[in-house]
Amino acid sequence: MRLMVFLMATCLSLAAQMVQESFAVDPGPLDFIRGDGQEQIILQMLTGDALTGVSASGQPVARLALDWKKRPGGWCFTLRPGVRFADGTPLTPEDVVWTFREIQNCPRASLSKRTYLAEVRITAEGDGVRLETPKPLSRLLLELARLPVARRQHPGVGSGPFALETQGGTWTLRARPHFLRPRIAGFHFRLIPDGQAILQNLRKGWLTLGTVPPRPGLNPPPGYREIHQPTHAQLLLFSRLGSAPLKHFEVWRREAIPDNFFGAQARPSGGLWPESLGFPPCAIQGAPGRGLPSPRWEVCYAAGDELAGRLLLALRERARQDGTDLVPVPVEPGLLLERLVRGGFGLACAMNLFEPHPWSVLDYMEPGGALNFCRWQHPRYRELAGQLKEPGSPPWAQLQALWASQPGALPLLDFTSVIWVDRRLEVIPSALGLYLTTPGPSAWIWTP
Amino acid sequence: MSKGLGVWALALLLGVLIPGTSRGHALGPFPWLVTALTLGLCLALAATTLFLVERLGPVLAARPPLALWEAIPDLLWGALALVCWPAAWGPPGFPALALAFLLAALPGELRWLAQTLPRESPFPAAWGPRAIRISRRLALRSLLPRWLLARLPLWITATLILERMLGVRGPSSDWMMRLAFRDHWGVACWILGFALLWVLLQREGA
Repeated sequence: MRLMVFLMATCLSLAAQMVQESFAVDPGPLDFIRGDGQEQIILQMLTGDALTGVSASGQPVARLALDWKKRPGGWCFTLRPGVRFADGTPLTPEDVVWTFREIQNCPRASLSKRTYLAEVRITAEGDGVRLETPKPLSRLLLELARLPVARRQHPGVGSGPFALETQGGTWTLRARPHFLRPRIAGFHFRLIPDGQAILQNLRKGWLTLGTVPPRPGLNPPPGYREIHQPTHAQLLLFSRLGSAPLKHFEVWRREAIPDNFFGAQARPSGGLWPESLGFPPCAIQGAPGRGLPSPRWEVCYAAGDELAGRLLLALRERARQDGTDLVPVPVEPGLLLERLVRGGFGLACAMNLFEPHPWSVLDYMEPGGALNFCRWQHPRYRELAGQLKEPGSPPWAQLQALWASQPGALPLLDFTSVIWVDRRLEVIPSALGLYLTTPGPSAWIWTP
Repeated sequence: MSKGLGVWALALLLGVLIPGTSRGHALGPFPWLVTALTLGLCLALAATTLFLVERLGPVLAARPPLALWEAIPDLLWGALALVCWPAAWGPPGFPALALAFLLAALPGELRWLAQTLPRESPFPAAWGPRAIRISRRLALRSLLPRWLLARLPLWITATLILERMLGVRGPSSDWMMRLAFRDHWGVACWILGFALLWVLLQREGA
C-alpha cells in the first residue's frame, strides 16, 4: 500500500514538473504574423496550430486540418471541429483566411512566411479553407506546417497546446486542453545567451535540456543522457568569384579537418546539397585547376562565430600547402548579412538552416531567393524547376547536375545537434529539432 | 561642451542610421523591473563605498589587499557565483548577479574615491579624529554627484557579462541586443540617456 502511495505521489509530482529550458536570444513578443527568428518560431509552434504538421520522419500529418483533398490547382482542407484559441474563442475558417491574408499583405510580416504564401489564393469554403497555388502541392503541404493560425485581429493569440505567460526575462508555457493532449505541465524558458553558462546550468541541474557547445570531450552529468540529432543546418561558403575557388574548397574541406575536430556537433559536408534532405552527394563538375587564380583569398564570416573561425583557420593551413593565403575576415553579423544581400563580398561564410523539404535548396537558384547571394542564374533553370512535382523525381537529379556545373555556394560543415536531456524526460528527436514536429513536445512524458 | 555635444549628436545620428541588417525580429519590451533593481544595486554599491571610504580614508587606496581584490575580473566573479550557488536553490538569477556585481565593482570604486580624497597629514590629522571625519564628509559630499554621474554608465555596462552568464535580461544586455538586432530607435534612446548623464556631469563639474 505504502509503495503504491509513494509511486502515485512520484508520478503526480513528475506530471506537474515544468521543463526548464533556455533561449539564446529574446524571442520578442508573440506575433504569428510578424514574429520571426528561431526562438519566436519555437514559441509559435508551442502556442499555435498550423493546418498541417510535420512528423519526426518529415511527413505531413494532420494538425488543425483533419484531412485535405486535392482540387484543381490546390488543396481543400477540412478544419478539426471544437478547436478553441487560448482565450476561449472558437477557431473558424475565417481566422485561417485572415491570418494568411495578413501575412501576404502586411509589409512587416515574417519574410519566410510571406515566401511560403507567395501566389497562394486563400478562400473559406464551408467548414474548411481552399488554397490554390502554382507550386507543387506536396511542397505546399510541408510549408503550411510552418504557418500557425492566429485569431482574427489578434496576431498574438494562438490555439496551440500551451498558453504563454511572459514575465521579465522568463517565458512560461502551461499545458491547456488541446486535441494533441500534452502530457507535461509545461515549459519555463530563461534567457541564457552564453554557451558556457548553459553548460554550467545543465551541470547544476537547473535546465532539463540544453544544447551543448561544440567542443570535444564533454560528457553529460549524472542524471542526463546525450541525444544526437542530425539537422538540416549547414555552414555555407558563398562565392562571387565564380566556382573556381569552390572547387579548391571542396578538396580542402575533405582534407583539412581532423576527425573529432568539432566533437559530435559538426562534420565536413560531403556534397553540394544537404544529404539530410535526401540529396545524394554530388561533386562540382571539373577538377580544380593546377594554378590558383589568386594567391590571396579573403573569407568573411560572422564575428564571434567560434566554430566558423576555427574551421577557417584549419582550412588556411591546408590552403597554404597549395600556395594560397586564406585570410579569415570577421565581420559584425548585421554587416555581414547586409554585405551578403547586397552582393558586396568575394567569399563569405554563413550558417543556414534549410526548411525540412527538398524545395528549400531552390533558395540558391531562384532569382531573389533567400540564399541566392551570388545572383546565380541559368537559362534552363525555369524549365527544370517547373518539373519538380515530387521529391526524388528525375528532374531533381538534372537540376543538381546543373547547379554542380557552376555552383554559387558550397557547404563546408553539416551540423548535428548534441543535446543533454534529463533522463526522466522522454523526448522525440528529429532533424527538425525537438519543437517543430507534430505532436512534438505534446508527446513528451516524464517517466518515474 | 559644444564639441562634446557635437560628438553626442553624431553618435545619436549613427544610432539611428546604424549600417547592417538583421533578419531577426522585434525584441521584447524594455526590462523595467530588472533595471529598477540594477539601479537599486548601484545605489547600494554607492552607499557601501561611501561608508567604507569615510571610515578608512585615503590610505585605503594604498592597501595591497585592495589591489589584489581589484585584479580579479568580473567574468571570474560571475563564474564563481554560478559554480558556488547551491544547486538545490535553483537558478541564481538576480541575487547572484547582485553578489557578483558588488564583489566586482566595489574595489575599483573604493580606490577611485579614496584616491580622490585630499591628504590628511599633517592637517586635519593633527586636529584629531573629529576634524578628519568632517573633512572626509565634506570632500565626499562634493565628490558624490560627479562620481555617480561618471560611474553610472560604466556600472550599467559592466553588468553585461554577468547578465549573460547568469541568465538575467537586464539593461546592459538590452542595450547590446538592440544594437545586434538593429533596433535603431532603441539604440538612439540609450545614446540619448548616456548623453544626458554626460551633460549633467559637465554642469556639475562647472
